[in-house]
Amino acid sequence: MGHLYTTREQYAPEQLKEMKDKYRPPELVCCIGSREVEDREVVFVGIGISDLAGAIAKLVHTPNAILVAEAGYIGFPSVAVLVSPADNSAGAMAMCHQSLPEVFIDQQAGFIDAAYLGFAQMDKYGNVNVSYITGPQIRMNGSGGGGDIASSAGRVVYTVEFNPRQWVEKVDYMTEPGFLDGSPDARKRVNLVGGGPSSVVTERGVFRFAPETHELFLAEVFPWQDEADIEDIKQSFPWDLKVAGELKIIEPPTERELWALGLMDPTGQYVIANIMDRPLGKIIAEGKFNLEGYNTFLELSDRAIREVLDFVS
Amino acid sequence: MAIQGLGTIDYAERARDSDYKKRLNKVMTEKEAVETFLHDGDSFCMGGFVMWRQPQSIMREIARQGKKNLSIIDESGDFDGIDLLVELGLVDRIDIAYMLTRQVGGISGTPAVERGLKEGVPRPVEAGGVMATPKDKIEPGAPPVKIVDWTNFEVSLRFIAGAFNVPFMPCRSSLGADIPEYNKEIKTINDPYENKPLLLIPAYKPDVAFISVQKADRRGNGQIWGFKGTDYWKARAAKHVVLLTEELVSTEKIHENPGLTVMPAYCTDAVVHLPFNCLPTGCYGHYLGDLLSFVSFLLQRQSREGALEWIDEWVYGLKDHFEYCDKLGWEKIDRLAKSEHKLNRIPG
Repeated sequence: MGHLYTTREQYAPEQLKEMKDKYRPPELVCCIGSREVEDREVVFVGIGISDLAGAIAKLVHTPNAILVAEAGYIGFPSVAVLVSPADNSAGAMAMCHQSLPEVFIDQQAGFIDAAYLGFAQMDKYGNVNVSYITGPQIRMNGSGGGGDIASSAGRVVYTVEFNPRQWVEKVDYMTEPGFLDGSPDARKRVNLVGGGPSSVVTERGVFRFAPETHELFLAEVFPWQDEADIEDIKQSFPWDLKVAGELKIIEPPTERELWALGLMDPTGQYVIANIMDRPLGKIIAEGKFNLEGYNTFLELSDRAIREVLDFVS
Repeated sequence: MAIQGLGTIDYAERARDSDYKKRLNKVMTEKEAVETFLHDGDSFCMGGFVMWRQPQSIMREIARQGKKNLSIIDESGDFDGIDLLVELGLVDRIDIAYMLTRQVGGISGTPAVERGLKEGVPRPVEAGGVMATPKDKIEPGAPPVKIVDWTNFEVSLRFIAGAFNVPFMPCRSSLGADIPEYNKEIKTINDPYENKPLLLIPAYKPDVAFISVQKADRRGNGQIWGFKGTDYWKARAAKHVVLLTEELVSTEKIHENPGLTVMPAYCTDAVVHLPFNCLPTGCYGHYLGDLLSFVSFLLQRQSREGALEWIDEWVYGLKDHFEYCDKLGWEKIDRLAKSEHKLNRIPG
């Protein structure tokens, strides 16, 4: 895989501080997430951040990866971040246009090596909830294809921004099966064919699952994360989070990864947190529903796609 | 309790329904198609997938005609179209895998469903057997909207089983997870060949499938360019199929590229020639989605008052889809088409 590691000692203290403030969380998640797949793998991408990691991989690390989008687009060089799995930017250069169930049939037959997903709640064994929060009653988006992917993809890479509330002792609703009760053959016992979750990539480090116990542990951190920060992460978990004996130190995003991210998402759709701060939101806030507003917005996306097309073709 | 959408179609029934399917000219207006095929208490599904090739104008027409007690089944498609019908209290049941709720920036993709769940307005909501509108918020006698959870593949398999004319399809998704725990219409069995757990997903035969296509002829041969979604199966599972087509072409044109034909004429009951009917979603090769309208409409619809005002202006206030296009402005529509053409290297 395209993992890149470094050591803390390579950087002077002031350099570390500078680096810490340099990157926005989605940039770290997408760029580091892109290192989780291998060349020639078949990679199921989601939307937004869980597409961008795969898109960066395809442009930078794994030119022969075959990207798959749920609606039925297969084998496309990513030319723009997917807002929907049915986006035209996936279709325009795909090698295959097929259908939603065909993608899932192929997945259930083992063709998909890795998949990117996000989540709202996760427990110790990688079981995921994207359906219901029952504390204050909140109905979330629901499974979509997540339940299918977590069941049957070769492995699942979760890419999310770190939020202390997302870690729970027991998920309120298990939309996506992880390692279930964590017992060695739990997935096999219920006849799940996919390999289950392999990693969780966040801006506060990469978490993996212990081979025997299937328990989530902190495996890798960024050079600027010190002992206090790791202690703070541990405090965010409702269980006693295990930390790797020898934490690997993640090489921060490379220029090339950031270039690819900028190319995929030039208007910052997924880097700018609030929709109203993005170009689209600003046009709406200004009330520009005239042709000028449409021209401004569409020029941005047209230009971005043109740039990538020049690069990939 | 009987499972909705289940049941074997016998050939006599197909023949009874087939008067429309055998016609040589199936062209009608959108208004006629909804009047003819969708009745109070019916179930229906829509073609396309999230933000693309969704028959959105048909949702506005269903709203105008006020068809009620509807059941809707879909994977992850037309959440804001469904929400429009929920806002008007027209929906009894939604079988679905994904409906966009609150997004970053605090905009909900399904404000009426969320309001129903919290406040019982426009109607109370029962979601997935997990949560429901608090009892003190429910007007006596107000019937709830029932939401039933599936995964995308499971919803697809419901249509596939319906198309196969068998009661179920087996599936490996969600084994050991909570969807089959709460959704009792899914059965877990030990399969009779290998004696290992497997889920059975029941068939669904909707009364009507509304499917947007790029090209169709008057006989009802429908051609799709780009992703196919689950439209092949929806067209075969449904009792009646209404195609909404960007271009009405001659049968000779269909013969030029038979590989693009997803629905042969025998599936189809009606053809509605309605350019730009997917707006504000996009149509592959024809036009980009109208994100400016999409987001600003949703912003307006966040409150009950705002939603009703929006419906007055953009649904009730317009006679048909052509008036929607006029109101939006053809120069903007043309601009959306140009962007899509550029991506697909179509000159002009």
